[in-house]
Amino acid sequence: MIKLINISKKYNDLELLRDFNISFERNKITCLFGPSGVGKTTIANIVAGIVPIDKGRIEGIENSLLSYVFQEPRLLNWYSVYDNLDFVLKDVYPSDKRVSIINNYLSMVELLEYKNFKIDALSGGMEQRVSLARAFAYPSDILIMDEPFKGLDYKLKQEMISLFKSMWQKSKRTVIFITHQVDEAIILSHTIYKLKNRPIDIVNKINVNNNIEEIKNLLLT
Amino acid sequence: MKNSIIRNKNKLLIILFWILIWEVLSLIVNQEIYLPSPTSTFSALLNLLCEKETYITIFYSTYRTLTGFFISCTTGIILGYICGINKFFYNLLNPLVVIIRTIPVMSIIIIAIMWFRDTNVPIFVAFLMCFPIIWTNTVTGIISTDIKILQMCRVYKIRKIRIIKSVYFYSALPYIKSAMISDLGIGWKVTSAAEVLSLPKYSIGRFLYDSKVYLEIPSLFAWTIIIIFLSFIFENLLKVLFKGRVV
Repeated sequence: MIKLINISKKYNDLELLRDFNISFERNKITCLFGPSGVGKTTIANIVAGIVPIDKGRIEGIENSLLSYVFQEPRLLNWYSVYDNLDFVLKDVYPSDKRVSIINNYLSMVELLEYKNFKIDALSGGMEQRVSLARAFAYPSDILIMDEPFKGLDYKLKQEMISLFKSMWQKSKRTVIFITHQVDEAIILSHTIYKLKNRPIDIVNKINVNNNIEEIKNLLLT
Repeated sequence: MKNSIIRNKNKLLIILFWILIWEVLSLIVNQEIYLPSPTSTFSALLNLLCEKETYITIFYSTYRTLTGFFISCTTGIILGYICGINKFFYNLLNPLVVIIRTIPVMSIIIIAIMWFRDTNVPIFVAFLMCFPIIWTNTVTGIISTDIKILQMCRVYKIRKIRIIKSVYFYSALPYIKSAMISDLGIGWKVTSAAEVLSLPKYSIGRFLYDSKVYLEIPSLFAWTIIIIFLSFIFENLLKVLFKGRVV
């Protein structure tokens, strides 16, 4: 279990978190749900170590490796698709092992034939798939996904969601998934935290079961 | 193909237009000592191009310009990287670079004449004039590296040395390239100026100086055309070299 305990965080005079507590179950997908600007990304970035905290402590991430699918792909435009994956794997796998891992994950996201393409030559959806492949190819214990389907058209979004689900089934890990879309939250998550802002607080902790309509009502009210 | 022919034709017409203006002005002034005509200038240029000494002179001046340019690029890029990444080194070096940038080029040439052999003066001056540009651009390139990419590197625990090699290097590259192109033009200007004052044996600057002393103004103009031509050639060679690169 990953636990954020009594976390406080201020940006200048703006109090984002005050004695905030949340936990994420191991090898499950937990969704942070709430309107834009509520501070979902801040919580994820605290777990990722990108945002320092003013007070509190984090348990369960010691010695853990972490990967992140950002809202925008954050790829190195000057490298090829293959080299972008190789870039994050170089310090964790020997050279011969990297080749098979990268080819395997590029094949999963159906980009193997594009492996020598420069990032600039890819569409937005393809870039996001590279980002997903990078996150799964990296041997992380925790995977953070910050609105990874934002800006994708309906068809592409459905493809990406099923791609994510199949990749997670093959390589299960603790996922913190951020969204403000009800359908994404319900389809992908085991647990949903509905958040409100200033300071951020949990309105509801919802375990996703078969009662979809009830969950929808809880999320939309 | 057709567009390229039209473009070249236009360029030629523009050059001919300005030569015509030059001819008209020289006819109005009507004194070769102030403004030689294009005809006498090109005749002097043709004479120069028939002499072996001209080529030796061009070789030595090119050697000095390029040496100063390469030293400034090497030190500027290395120190620029260090200062872009480390705030302490930036604060340490920045005042010195600001001072170098504001010192008049003539003061630097005269100081260099006191310190170095005549042939090394233009190299030192070219280095000192070009260094602040390449250093500043490298630092700017490093500082403007996308913070989001750096955050990604932090998440994936990429080692600092690999971030320098794979992220900072490529982020700063466009800035470095543009600084190198402007530095090469500046290099030719300051090398010639330093040669005029330090008078190394084989140097375009010495010939510029002699032309002035012996009032051979067409020859002065002819040497100036040679400098412009050399600067143009090297600048374009650099641009072609950069275009051929991956980034």
